[in-house]
Amino acid sequence: MTEAIALFHISPSAGAPIYRQLMDQIERMLAAGELRAGDELPSVRQLAARLEINPMTVSKAYSLLEGGGRLQRLRGRGMVVPGRFEEPRSEAARLRLLEPALDELVAQARELKLPAAAVVELLSKRLEKKRERTGT
Amino acid sequence: MKEPVLEARGLHKSFKRKGVLRGLDLEVPEGAVMGLLGKNGAGKTTLIECLLGLVKPNEGEITLLGASPWDMDTATRQRIGYVPQTSSSFGWMRVGELVRYIGAFYASWNMDNVQRLLAWYELEEDAKVGTLSEGQRQRLAIVQAMGHDPDLLVLDEPVASLDPAARRNFLKELIEFNTRPGKTVLFSTHITSDLERSAAQVAILKEGRIAFNGGIDELKERICRLHIHAGRPLPTTLPAVRTLRYEKDGNTALAVTDGITEDDLAQLEQQLAARINLEYLSLEDIFVELNR
Repeated sequence: MTEAIALFHISPSAGAPIYRQLMDQIERMLAAGELRAGDELPSVRQLAARLEINPMTVSKAYSLLEGGGRLQRLRGRGMVVPGRFEEPRSEAARLRLLEPALDELVAQARELKLPAAAVVELLSKRLEKKRERTGT
Repeated sequence: MKEPVLEARGLHKSFKRKGVLRGLDLEVPEGAVMGLLGKNGAGKTTLIECLLGLVKPNEGEITLLGASPWDMDTATRQRIGYVPQTSSSFGWMRVGELVRYIGAFYASWNMDNVQRLLAWYELEEDAKVGTLSEGQRQRLAIVQAMGHDPDLLVLDEPVASLDPAARRNFLKELIEFNTRPGKTVLFSTHITSDLERSAAQVAILKEGRIAFNGGIDELKERICRLHIHAGRPLPTTLPAVRTLRYEKDGNTALAVTDGITEDDLAQLEQQLAARINLEYLSLEDIFVELNR
């Protein structure tokens, strides 16, 4: 899966450490079925070079995911998605992964004292717009 | 953990009765990239100069590559590369002449590597050193310090005059250097934004001591900001958590904590009858909070 490398992006100055951002991204790709059983992840060096970060950071993310059984290290092939993720996860499971972002949104909306209806309207507009642009 | 390449214990250094270093301890393990962070005037340069034996501390022990920096043989000294904050002149020389001249002092000067570095930093060999911009001089100083392929590279504010693109290039080169076995880097800076990419260890110099020494990830996971919204007036201090800052205004408060766990947070919410949002901070924000 060489195209997967283009899907990675990081924000170095965000509060979450970069290795965390990478782990969360891979989790989302697994959940969405963008990464499937048998897919290879970019090598540590490739991904580090592309994101201009320390290879140790990529290693750390991969190793932690490997420890949790989300990835598997194969001799000669690097990191691959193990067989368990044959099918993309259910919508409910994917929605659960969205929860941290939603919590943040809700908290900020409250701080700004915005009415729920206005926020929901803005959010659905955004979702529609994105969909038109990506054509899905 | 490997043997430290550099170790300082109980360093004191004062200038005219003003204590700059006050009982400072620091360890730089072999293979580390360590960013020394501190406000202007925190004593970063003084510390580096003490560590390298350029300035004598009033008190304290320093071990540099297994020796005292005041009593070091030439072979050991040649394992060090140093970029001072202000580069020496030689304005009348051309870049190519300068690197050959400097190279003559080193047994292991590698001209191929120097030429690669000059190209990487976009420095022309026939340019007069005197006509270089501040940023170009700084890059040249880095090339000079790396030409003999040192084991320990010490840089004092190496990115201060570099533009963001050159800073990024410089950090790439540092990481590349550091991925080879036995190569250690210590550099001081007050620019936090690029450090995050380099996954460096950070040592934060504050009031003459190291206030924090550890990985950026660890620091980011330890120091966080709490936004507290309670249904009733809040107490004057936060119970049971290590707090760097606590600003209360009636039922709401802002706190910066060190090492709060999820359990602590849940407990705190219950105790205060409050809703608490936890926010992780950028290295820059953490640096500002630690220096408050």
